[in-house]
Amino acid sequence: MSILSPGRIRDARLEPNLAVECDYAIVGSGAGGSVAAAVLAESGARVMVVEEGGHFTRRDFNMQEAWAYDALYQDHGNRATEDLSIVILQGRTVGGGTTVNWTSSFRTPDRTLALWASRHGLSGLDAAALAPHFAAVEARLSIREGDPDDVNANNRKLLEGARKLGWNPELIRRSVKGCARLGYCGMGCPLDAKQTAALTYIPDALAAGAHLFTNARAKLIETDRGRAKGVVCDVTVANSPRPKRFVVYARQGVLLAGGAINTPALLLRSKIVNASQALGQRTFLHPTVPLVSFYDEPIEGFYGAPQSVACHHFADRGERVGYFLETAPVHPMLSAVAFSGFGDAHRRTMERLAHAQATIALLIDGHHDDAGGRVRADPDDRIRIDYPLSPALREAAVDAIKNMARLQLAAGAREVVTLHEDPLVIRSEADLAQVDGAAFGPNRHTLFSAHQMGGAAMGNDRATSVVDGRGRHHELENLWVVDGSIFPTSLGVNPQLSIYAHARLFATEIARHH
Amino acid sequence: MTVTRRGFLKKGFVGGAILAGGGVLALMAAPGKRTRSPSGKLAVLSAYEYAIFSAAAARLVPGDGAPGWPSAEALQTADKLDALLAQLHPGAARDFKRLLHVFESAVTGLTSSGMPLPFTRCTPAQQDRRLQAWRHARVELLRSGYQAMKRLAHALYYSSPPTYERVGYPGPPVVPQSAP
Repeated sequence: MSILSPGRIRDARLEPNLAVECDYAIVGSGAGGSVAAAVLAESGARVMVVEEGGHFTRRDFNMQEAWAYDALYQDHGNRATEDLSIVILQGRTVGGGTTVNWTSSFRTPDRTLALWASRHGLSGLDAAALAPHFAAVEARLSIREGDPDDVNANNRKLLEGARKLGWNPELIRRSVKGCARLGYCGMGCPLDAKQTAALTYIPDALAAGAHLFTNARAKLIETDRGRAKGVVCDVTVANSPRPKRFVVYARQGVLLAGGAINTPALLLRSKIVNASQALGQRTFLHPTVPLVSFYDEPIEGFYGAPQSVACHHFADRGERVGYFLETAPVHPMLSAVAFSGFGDAHRRTMERLAHAQATIALLIDGHHDDAGGRVRADPDDRIRIDYPLSPALREAAVDAIKNMARLQLAAGAREVVTLHEDPLVIRSEADLAQVDGAAFGPNRHTLFSAHQMGGAAMGNDRATSVVDGRGRHHELENLWVVDGSIFPTSLGVNPQLSIYAHARLFATEIARHH
Repeated sequence: MTVTRRGFLKKGFVGGAILAGGGVLALMAAPGKRTRSPSGKLAVLSAYEYAIFSAAAARLVPGDGAPGWPSAEALQTADKLDALLAQLHPGAARDFKRLLHVFESAVTGLTSSGMPLPFTRCTPAQQDRRLQAWRHARVELLRSGYQAMKRLAHALYYSSPPTYERVGYPGPPVVPQSAP
């Protein structure tokens, strides 16, 4: 242990073939891993965090898409479902998703918690139990009431259109301090204004003696007689044909916070499977349907706070799948990938980029009979994500396209262009009927996901869940999951704050008992 | 944005048949036009695969047809693809290479767009027809393959600063790095 300097971020590539020991090993340094590391380290435990991504700071954040998606995202920006129908944006760096998210901060909605209690048999996890943890995280991340001055032209169209139609838009609370509204949250904040895990709970954990090893990819959880013993990591070293091994042994326990998709895959690779077969199942993505509108005046959706307005008017559609509306930043690469077509037709759309408004509808999956997707882990370490588009989701997507178009026309859009492979141009209400007849399905329309949830769901019933209502694995008593994988359904809001608060609650209870 | 081997194999009879035929024929076929050459040593792609992606990228981006736009070649789109593939899981890179062979093959050309020629030997108009056929194909596998090539070409091309001015994007603001 003496070779380790306490409280530092270390590059595992400089320490290959190392084996270290601690009380708690934590996989992942995003929202869940960071706050759990801080709580446990501050309670006096020796904590080590392994992070598969690299450590980058504001000096690295050059606001170039070519660098950012390659350096800061899973699969270098190329993660997607198996059939490529849903592009998956997910962080992979110190701070995880919080380093690249768009700062939107919501508490878990009461109706979502109520659904978990009534349909997923989850007791003892209600708004009251979570409230102090939400409050603590909000204070640490400087989350305050939504600021009207944050609203750029892209978001103003959503605000104005929703107001005109009586759809009750709201200002989004953001995790920022001293934000200059540059517009590059998704590429890492070059001002350190975004209050990421890397600027808040990671420094807290380091100050309390925790260590964080970067470029160490958790490959397997080692177990021994029903207990988690440690985490075996791969460290890729230049000029070495095979990854080096890096092992963290944990005397007290192991906490998994690699994010939905990665955490279920790690459990599957480690063959820590429940009898229920629930592991990897019910993976939710908030499948996201973008719509582009063109205005006579410049919108410049590449500048300004990327998300400052949300509309939850359609979140509860009764028996039908609900959705909520937000905006997406309009940078060239992200837009070019999202816009359908190629060659000159695609070029003509791209030439209007500065006048483009992007509204997105996030489908609230898992609240009805839709079972979401499934994560699989291949023997060669490859992760596969299957996500069938159920008829219920398709119905919601079509409804969302029509309502987003109505909203943008109400806000004064010259024309609305759908992202079907055969794009529809909508200039009036009369044009909306076309949407019902347009082909919608895998690779018939652009879809993406910035919110990954589920796959290692909480629940009291071992037959349908992987961990209990405090994140503890049903079979291994000293193994916890403290990331977005625990959610039994999608949240219906942007997930970062829910992940922080649940992880803080779980870590507080772990610390109390160790 | 990558296409996967299993994704390619699991899509049922039609996809499998095209893949089998394409694989054999791609091996037998004489290499197509190699008008574009890598600027340096390739890490993952063969020169043949490099030429196929270069030809597809040239049609996917506007550069070869619109005045003032840089060509995909000028922005080294295929070289950047090679560098990206080198970083991905080796299985994902293998799948993408396989996709390029299937896309190039004359058999796929015949079955997907009625054009029994390797893609790189087609005229630009024929190449666009092949891309359109894959884009709108009833076979899901072909639509996935089109999207893999389309998204990669567009991502690599439009994230290059020389295109910013063409799309009316002034680029990132200057940020004083001595700020707090």
